[in-house]
Amino acid sequence: MLRRKADRVGGQLRVRASQQAALASLGQHALGGMELDELLDATVAAAARELDAGQVVVLERTRDGAGMLARAGAGLPEGVLGGVLPADAAELARDLGSRSVIAARIGAAGRDFGVIQAHSGAEGHFGDDDSHFLQALANVLGAAVERSTVDDLMRDSEAQFRELANTTPALMWMTDAEGDVTFVNEGWLRFTDGRPGGEGGGPFASSAHPDDRETLLASWTETLRRQDDFRHEYRLRHAASDGYRWVLELGTPRFAGGEFVGYVGTATDIHERRAMEEALRESEASFRELANTAPAMIWTTDDHGLITFVNQGWLEFTGTNLHEEMGVAWELGVHPDDAALTRSTWQEARAKLAEWELEYRLHHHSGEYRWISDRGVPRYAGGRYVGYVGTAVDVHERKTIEGRLLEVYEREHAVAETLQRSLLPERLPPVEGVELAARYLPGARGSAIGGDWYDVLERPDGRVALVVGDVVGHGLRAAASMGQLRNAFRAYGMVEASPAEVVARINRLVMHGVEQVMATVLYLVLDRETGEVAFSAAGHPPPLLIAPDGARFLDGGRSVPIGAADPAVFREATALLPPGSTLLLYTDGLVERRDAPLEGRLEQLAAAAAAADTELDGLCEHLLGSMLGDGDPGDDVAILAVRPLPVAERQVSLTLPAEPGSLAVLRRRLARFLHATGADELQRYEITLTISEAAGNAIEHAYGPGDETFEVEVSFDEGVLTARVRDSGSWRDQRGEHRGRGLRIIEDLMDEVTVERHGDGTHVTMRRRLGRERAA
Amino acid sequence: MSAPAELLLETRDGSVVAQLGGEVDMSNASYVRDQLLASMSNEAIALVLDISGCRYLDSAGIEVLFDVSRRLARRRQELRIVMPPSSPLRRVIELTEVHTAAPVYESLEGALSE
Repeated sequence: MLRRKADRVGGQLRVRASQQAALASLGQHALGGMELDELLDATVAAAARELDAGQVVVLERTRDGAGMLARAGAGLPEGVLGGVLPADAAELARDLGSRSVIAARIGAAGRDFGVIQAHSGAEGHFGDDDSHFLQALANVLGAAVERSTVDDLMRDSEAQFRELANTTPALMWMTDAEGDVTFVNEGWLRFTDGRPGGEGGGPFASSAHPDDRETLLASWTETLRRQDDFRHEYRLRHAASDGYRWVLELGTPRFAGGEFVGYVGTATDIHERRAMEEALRESEASFRELANTAPAMIWTTDDHGLITFVNQGWLEFTGTNLHEEMGVAWELGVHPDDAALTRSTWQEARAKLAEWELEYRLHHHSGEYRWISDRGVPRYAGGRYVGYVGTAVDVHERKTIEGRLLEVYEREHAVAETLQRSLLPERLPPVEGVELAARYLPGARGSAIGGDWYDVLERPDGRVALVVGDVVGHGLRAAASMGQLRNAFRAYGMVEASPAEVVARINRLVMHGVEQVMATVLYLVLDRETGEVAFSAAGHPPPLLIAPDGARFLDGGRSVPIGAADPAVFREATALLPPGSTLLLYTDGLVERRDAPLEGRLEQLAAAAAAADTELDGLCEHLLGSMLGDGDPGDDVAILAVRPLPVAERQVSLTLPAEPGSLAVLRRRLARFLHATGADELQRYEITLTISEAAGNAIEHAYGPGDETFEVEVSFDEGVLTARVRDSGSWRDQRGEHRGRGLRIIEDLMDEVTVERHGDGTHVTMRRRLGRERAA
Repeated sequence: MSAPAELLLETRDGSVVAQLGGEVDMSNASYVRDQLLASMSNEAIALVLDISGCRYLDSAGIEVLFDVSRRLARRRQELRIVMPPSSPLRRVIELTEVHTAAPVYESLEGALSE
């Protein structure tokens, strides 16, 4: 037992290196877009191998939350995989006959995917590092789950759009932000029997009538520049008749989360209408005959605006007879919601004898209302105004599609917002030894869901990792990338001690991933005992140190954003927080403003922080208030404030398990205490060393690794530090050269050492005067 | 929890240069020793162990220095230690007479120019 334990401790670093490699590989797969099921299998295999576990299983919480679906596994008995198990993990452990289990939750706050468990038939098989590793794996899986959920939604939206577009007889197209066509529907292809685009510039140029090309292109270029609605009538190639037909091209700029991403548009065949209008101008006499053979809907009024005639096409649409449409009666067919607008548009035009055009819903013979595009022009006989003539076409398909497209985009926006919220818990988890507060404010209404995030993580070495980041871009993609980056930081933050190295590794992942993501990040590791911080600012504004004597920004550690270059050099800087100080991490939304230089805004932030409340939530509110005012912020804003809690007592009292791993814990606690006594670096090191040596002795002669503990008490009084280490074993003076050295260290570095052997164990008491250099 | 230690290895002028970072105590000392020994090829003249970046080294870590020196000597190889004068480890290194097992240099260049 003792032997195995020793081996495990000895091998721990080696295991760590191998685990890191496994984690890096999985992280790369996850960001590289590996299918979730494949990634689950790879993760399970890696966990089984690295943890030397008998069985590993990924359990996915069922929708109703009542059970767990065994989604992936290694070493499981037949029939378990794919089955739904009770949510109680202990039952599975019993079935598998395992005697030690570790588990890690998959998923972020607000989104609980499930759990990954590793089982072993041996007791005490897993150590702390193993748990950390499993949690890091779970964090990678969390990122992948988030990604796959978003991908599904995106696919849904896109598929829905294509399906919609292809089932409509209308001609539809989409462009990207540069105006290049990215999609045309089947209706378009059928109509033109060709491919759109090409020939640079406009999406339709190659299919347009040569005489219309120039004006079409000019109109499109200008519209695109202004990101206006597009509207143009021109002749489009028509395959079936081997000629050209007049179409009305309408385009609407598309915005995804506030960002212009291109146009979606439709072409409506208005050939009959155009032909009709031209014919009308030429021959008044044959009007009725012409009108009744035309497939378009046609009407005329007298000089009072009262309907005098509607053609067969109109009557076929409405299912009424001529009489029912005369005078003002036709208005009864207009959809009640559109009636007021239709009437006022019509009246205003008539007052000025102007042309008018409007899209509104008209009662169709099928019983439903259908959208028509109606246009009227004044008619003259011998120079005298005699009334209006109008044409209308059914544009219902196009209008409906537009409405549903809008829904799709609105849904995307809603999904992005939900995702963002779920990833940013309102309340941070409590972290021992520090006080935390955070705020997230989304950008102005209608603008954007951003990719800002913050996170806090407790590292295995006892330090606290804090991160604030800002993914470039907005909308669903940015929110999804933010989720992935957040989890990548959770994974690498667990295993990498150096901030610059964490950032460098994530940069490598991002640069080799399928999708290009760019983000600015401030990643910081805080030693809550000593107040030492190490940080790396990748394209991100510097952290603000709010010390009791004023606020200032921490310099250094600056480098390019993540996703900007590979290879890139990532720097890190260190600083020491004076007791009682607070550290503020924030995204640029807090300080960046178009109408004010950044320098001035940073000064303003420092001044506001120095004048703020000492209570952290109050500080956050105060800073948001004074930096942003009452209005909505233009960009989204994330802030995270952290403050190490002061060491209250002048005394440390600890009971720790008698095992080598306790030494690191002891050192962290001592570091914090010694820092508070004002001891200098050398004194801190030497005192920590001597107390650890005494503790090491206690650990070595504890009877076994089982339930043995040792106690450490350190106090500081009138310039003298007193430390007591008590164990329940017997002190061994001369056990090998190594222990001899340990004893020598203790005796030489302390002013006074006494060893008392009691029936129940050994007490070592050590004293050293601090404050000024000891007499030699 | 074991103490976090880091070893960066490179070959320079026929010697292996090992930068030891982090903390060494009884939880990871034997691993550090194994890694140091494994890093030495038969051709290498010396192992230059730079402890400038080491934040913590206790008697278990000192023991590694003695042990590695002894084992290398049997292979007719030498252990050299680099520790800047400002290191907080200095006093402990002196106290435990590490110099009797391996020469201690103030800089990496000094150790390599021997």
